Amino acid sequence: MKQVQANANEAKNLLSVDCLVLRRGNTTVLNGVSLHINSGEIYGLLGPNGAGKSTAIAAITGLLPFTGGQIRVFGQDLIDSTQAVRRHIGVLPEDAGFYSWMTAPAYLTFYARLFDSNHSPDKIGGLLDLVGLDPSSRQLIGAFSRGMKQRLGLARALVADPRLLILDEPTNGLDPRGRRDIHDVLLHLAAEGVAILMCSHILDDIDRLCSAFGIIVKGETVASGTREDLLSKAAQGARYEIFLEAGDGKELAAVPGVTIASHEGNRVEVSLAAWHRPHETWARLLEAGWPVSEIRKYGTGLEDFYLSVTDTDINQERAA
Amino acid sequence: MNTVTPKLMILAAVVAFGLALSQTASAENVSSALRVTLAPAPDNPAHPRMGDKMKFISEMTNTGNTPINGSVAWISLVQVDKGQEQPVDLEDWSAHKADVIATLAPGESHSTAWPMRLIKNGDYRVVISAASGDANGLIASPMLAFQVAAKPVVESARVLPIALGIPFLLSFALLFRQRRSRAA
Amino acid sequence: MSPQWLIARKEAGELLLSGRGLAWLLGASLAMSAFALLLVSSTELSLLDNAQVVYDMLGIATALAALLAMVVGIDAIGGERERNTLIPLLLTPLRRNQIITGKMASIVIAWVALFVVALPYIWSVASTGQNLGAGLLVTVVLGTPVILTFGYYGMWLGAGMAQLVSAYVVGLLTLMVAASPLLLGPALRQSVIGRIFDAINPFSAAVNAYDAVVIDSMSLLSQWPGFIAAFLWLGLTFLLARSRIRHLTV
Repeated sequence: MKQVQANANEAKNLLSVDCLVLRRGNTTVLNGVSLHINSGEIYGLLGPNGAGKSTAIAAITGLLPFTGGQIRVFGQDLIDSTQAVRRHIGVLPEDAGFYSWMTAPAYLTFYARLFDSNHSPDKIGGLLDLVGLDPSSRQLIGAFSRGMKQRLGLARALVADPRLLILDEPTNGLDPRGRRDIHDVLLHLAAEGVAILMCSHILDDIDRLCSAFGIIVKGETVASGTREDLLSKAAQGARYEIFLEAGDGKELAAVPGVTIASHEGNRVEVSLAAWHRPHETWARLLEAGWPVSEIRKYGTGLEDFYLSVTDTDINQERAA
Repeated sequence: MNTVTPKLMILAAVVAFGLALSQTASAENVSSALRVTLAPAPDNPAHPRMGDKMKFISEMTNTGNTPINGSVAWISLVQVDKGQEQPVDLEDWSAHKADVIATLAPGESHSTAWPMRLIKNGDYRVVISAASGDANGLIASPMLAFQVAAKPVVESARVLPIALGIPFLLSFALLFRQRRSRAA
Repeated sequence: MSPQWLIARKEAGELLLSGRGLAWLLGASLAMSAFALLLVSSTELSLLDNAQVVYDMLGIATALAALLAMVVGIDAIGGERERNTLIPLLLTPLRRNQIITGKMASIVIAWVALFVVALPYIWSVASTGQNLGAGLLVTVVLGTPVILTFGYYGMWLGAGMAQLVSAYVVGLLTLMVAASPLLLGPALRQSVIGRIFDAINPFSAAVNAYDAVVIDSMSLLSQWPGFIAAFLWLGLTFLLARSRIRHLTV
């Protein structure tokens, strides 16, 4: 088996996906997916249902052969060294199954051995403890709740001390407390230098955890970058409610870059042109003496951005 | 299972014997030179039962002055119990059903052992027939008689504990396993 | 511990300890019990040639083991895929060949378990002990490749068919056709079609060898054509299963 060789590039960039193309028959499932994840980074992969997120993950983990593009893991080409790199990748697939007749420690020990990893009872117990499962329980996995299975799936992904963690909907089926626990575990791992790629429909998870993210629509990466970059873009063109102490605010339309969407009493709903930074616009309003009492933003920045990117696509589709 | 009726078989045997006799004249020299004897092996069980093994020894001798080429000898077994008269399909009785002798020099003898396992109880006759490529004659050995006593092959004292005990044990193991799973 | 052995142990544990395997063994033992009880309860059958009885029991055990091997083979790939447990296994650093070997080893373990269950039955009906040792030997030597052939065939079906139930139906029909020599009379088997079928059927290779060794007291070595046929089938089904599992996508 090829050894994974450390080099300067690998230390920084653990996963590089460039222009990934995957066709099934005449259907193009992925058409130019690109993403790059560095050590210690949590990268969120977003997209509507059927966009190709899970397919992208299957290709990145070597489960699906791809038609074009390149995947490099730890600096090595995935095709040339699938087995070697898998030793250092932990994966939590969506709807992963478990051997229901085993106990959780036996299950993790089995997988630790398959990865030729440390399978001491202390380590297995520690992993179960980390994901919030009772290491001393003799309960069979078949009797686990969905949330417990999700936690066990995460423990299985961590069993070989991965340098790259790939998670498909990691908080599926978890209650708020469970989600928070998983968030803490992932942040802790990222702090230790583990690169994490996660798919999720829960924007709050992405918003809270990810330092970078990308959005796939119809198999194409339509947006990607660091959290700061994208949220900054998200803020532009977003909608705001402005409450005035006096007046109906119709004159706000004269302010450059501001478009009034609606107004009712002293409440005005506006949107900003893409090239206007919100805080600079609000500062100008105050300097000009507008009697502003409160400014509220609709939804989260990420949600706005996500909806705007995916809506554009849907609108284009409708127009077509 | 042979379904040919005994009467038909007897008729066929008579016809075959007649045909053999009719050929005797044309192949008189060769036929008269070939002699076949048949005897039971000395270690055969005195009172054979189903499942026992028996062996018969035949000896073909060229009593003439010229070699006999391409002789073939074969074994025939006939059940002669009243109402069950029939030739026996030797399929299950013996894998050794014929013997070919390329050349038998004048005065030379060739001995053949005919092993068989006794498959079914009954009264039997065994005979070795021989024919040669040099002629159309048929030579038969003397016919030997033997009886096979019935013996139940499967003993209920052996079968019943196994046939009832093993499913019971496995059922017990299955129930125990299910109970343990529920407890876990 | 090698990964293949780990998988084999896990699979065998799942089969024999999960209740499913025990239920299989129970079913097999009930079938053999039914035949054994039929032998003692019927006067006519109780007078059957002892070698014939042993041959029948060996044939039944082989047919049951082939069925078990095929079902386990289908479940090892198709069942795991349906239960979503195959993906985590494919995501380990193991090569697909190692996974196939591990799963096949579990089929061998299942066959050993069934053979152990069948042994008392074979002993119980073989009261004269006639050709019993040779019969057991030919079952191990020739029955094993035939049974494993059905195991690989099951894996091939399980990996290739989208619906698990379809794989079971196709597998069962194939096994019924292959095992028909146990039911067909000599006349049918001696016909031209019967002879061709016998020549290409792996199951025939085994039962014909059982017949020759147990009933006709022929030597094991004389059955070399049967060995060649059985191992050719084993090799062919292995290559088919390996090819399909190597290219298995999820």
